[in-house]
Amino acid sequence: MFCEKVIELIRELHRMSDGQLPAFNEDGLRQVLQEMEALYEQNQSDVQEAKSEARTELIPSIKLRHCCLLRNQRCVIAYLYDRLLRIRALRWECGSVLPANVRFHMCAEELQWFSQYKKSLASFMRSLGGGEGLDITQDIKPPKSLYIEVRCLKDHGEFEIDDGTVILLKKNSQHFLPRWKCEQLIRQGVLEHVVS
Amino acid sequence: METQSYFPVPPGVAVEENFLSLDDILLTHERLPVRTECAFPRLGFLDKSTDTQDISEGTKMELPLWLSKALYERKRRVLSVELPKVYREGWRTVFNADPNVVDLHKMGPYYYSLGSQLLHFDSPENPDIAQTLLQTFIGRFRRTMDSSQNAYNEDTSALVQRLDSLEKVLFRSGQSGLNDFQSWEKGRAAQLTASTLVLNYRKRKLAEVQP
Amino acid sequence: MDPLEVEFLAEKETVKIIPNFSLDKIYLIGGDLGPFNPGLPVDVPVWLALNLKQRQKCRIVPPEWMDVDKLEETRDLERKEDTFTPAPSPYYMELTKLLLNHASDNIPKADEIRTLVKDIWDTRIAKLRLSADSFISQQEAHAQLDNLTLMEINTIRTFLLDSLNCMYKLRSNLQPASSKGQYADF
Repeated sequence: MFCEKVIELIRELHRMSDGQLPAFNEDGLRQVLQEMEALYEQNQSDVQEAKSEARTELIPSIKLRHCCLLRNQRCVIAYLYDRLLRIRALRWECGSVLPANVRFHMCAEELQWFSQYKKSLASFMRSLGGGEGLDITQDIKPPKSLYIEVRCLKDHGEFEIDDGTVILLKKNSQHFLPRWKCEQLIRQGVLEHVVS
Repeated sequence: METQSYFPVPPGVAVEENFLSLDDILLTHERLPVRTECAFPRLGFLDKSTDTQDISEGTKMELPLWLSKALYERKRRVLSVELPKVYREGWRTVFNADPNVVDLHKMGPYYYSLGSQLLHFDSPENPDIAQTLLQTFIGRFRRTMDSSQNAYNEDTSALVQRLDSLEKVLFRSGQSGLNDFQSWEKGRAAQLTASTLVLNYRKRKLAEVQP
Repeated sequence: MDPLEVEFLAEKETVKIIPNFSLDKIYLIGGDLGPFNPGLPVDVPVWLALNLKQRQKCRIVPPEWMDVDKLEETRDLERKEDTFTPAPSPYYMELTKLLLNHASDNIPKADEIRTLVKDIWDTRIAKLRLSADSFISQQEAHAQLDNLTLMEINTIRTFLLDSLNCMYKLRSNLQPASSKGQYADF
């Protein structure tokens, strides 16, 4: 049956329901486009024949192929759109710099889209708070205090805090830091929030 | 407590599908037994049972729901759709007798959604199918709710196993409400945690490195 | 909504404290606070009360409803009635948790209060589930959720909304097919 290839693409995404981004399936997409081209060309020639030789019995087959073209189109759009939703989520979960293994799974256009999304978000956040700017990716949970206790899960090197002091984030070391400076690092799994 | 930032396109609520929903695309990929009411020239290769050039009138074959729906017309018969057996009278009697004994995952997994979609095709049995779908859902609701609201920190796979995909969604939203509340009550909600997405990526990276 | 956000809203409720310091009135966007005089009771939002308490700057006076006799009465009434009785406070669950966790030394019979509030909560949640079930089985079109608190609604919100969507889907199937028309889905 037609449109089987494109369902594989959809299944690939559906299996990773947690929002992970599978590798961009360039090869699969090319095969779908090839199928669409073949469907289109066959329909062109059948339409010509149906017109010039008045062969109306060809119409059901033409209609069937046309439906398949539209189905392929729908699925490809849904595939690309769902990937964009996942890529947008990455900005919120991983921060503005993506790990190499994630970037590796994106095509050139997606990388470009990500950097544009990043820019729009940044300029929106700069415009908030009467020109002061406001980082809306922070404080996703209502904060209880300005400072929190954190433990380092891996060596992360030097880290500068508000007052200019530089501390060394060494594995297993424990620190009392401004919450807003740590939130991103906790989400990335570098620091662990210690609750007493 | 999970802060998630990936929200997939939800499936359509009523009879309409949601164009970009992966769930709806997979649902409409389910196959239905059909009978062709006219010939489809030059498409014989789609019917695996013969090697003729055309699909002739009166061929019985399976077509995906989306294609059956698109080709189906009330005025001009192009194909007729047969009811899959779980929606026929025999099974309807079973469902009406005790909806809780049936394994809807095995029968479906899109029992309700596929059943609703079947109503697009004219059939004198449609009102009965619609009634059975509704009564089955109502009959099983208490169980779906109770299991999703009482199972905290347990392995839920056995409970979920026999649910239809629609009921599974319900089960999960019940569970997340319960889990969020419990972790707040135990004082764990305020702890900032690593993104599950990031953690899952790391797990996968390890799995890829290992032979 | 996250339970933490509900708790955040609860922190805006006022509670009486007895400060052990003095400070002039302070003017904030959210309202004026103080003045604070040692030994003189003053109403402040819960978030401030907890912060002062943690720094040993005050003693918290428990809200009137946070009392064993009153809560026993509420619990018995809640068990007797089929419908929801008015909750002790719109934020009874959140305030109990916050105040008992941070100021249990200021609240007489703290453990008993904890148990009572939990009993009331459990009774109400059981009722909520029962009514959700009868709501579905009787195919009602709307429900009245009188006397429910935000935290209670919040634990069941997504589940209830998803169930109602399912019901809507399956009930709209009962409409005759002619009204459906043709759909151009692929």
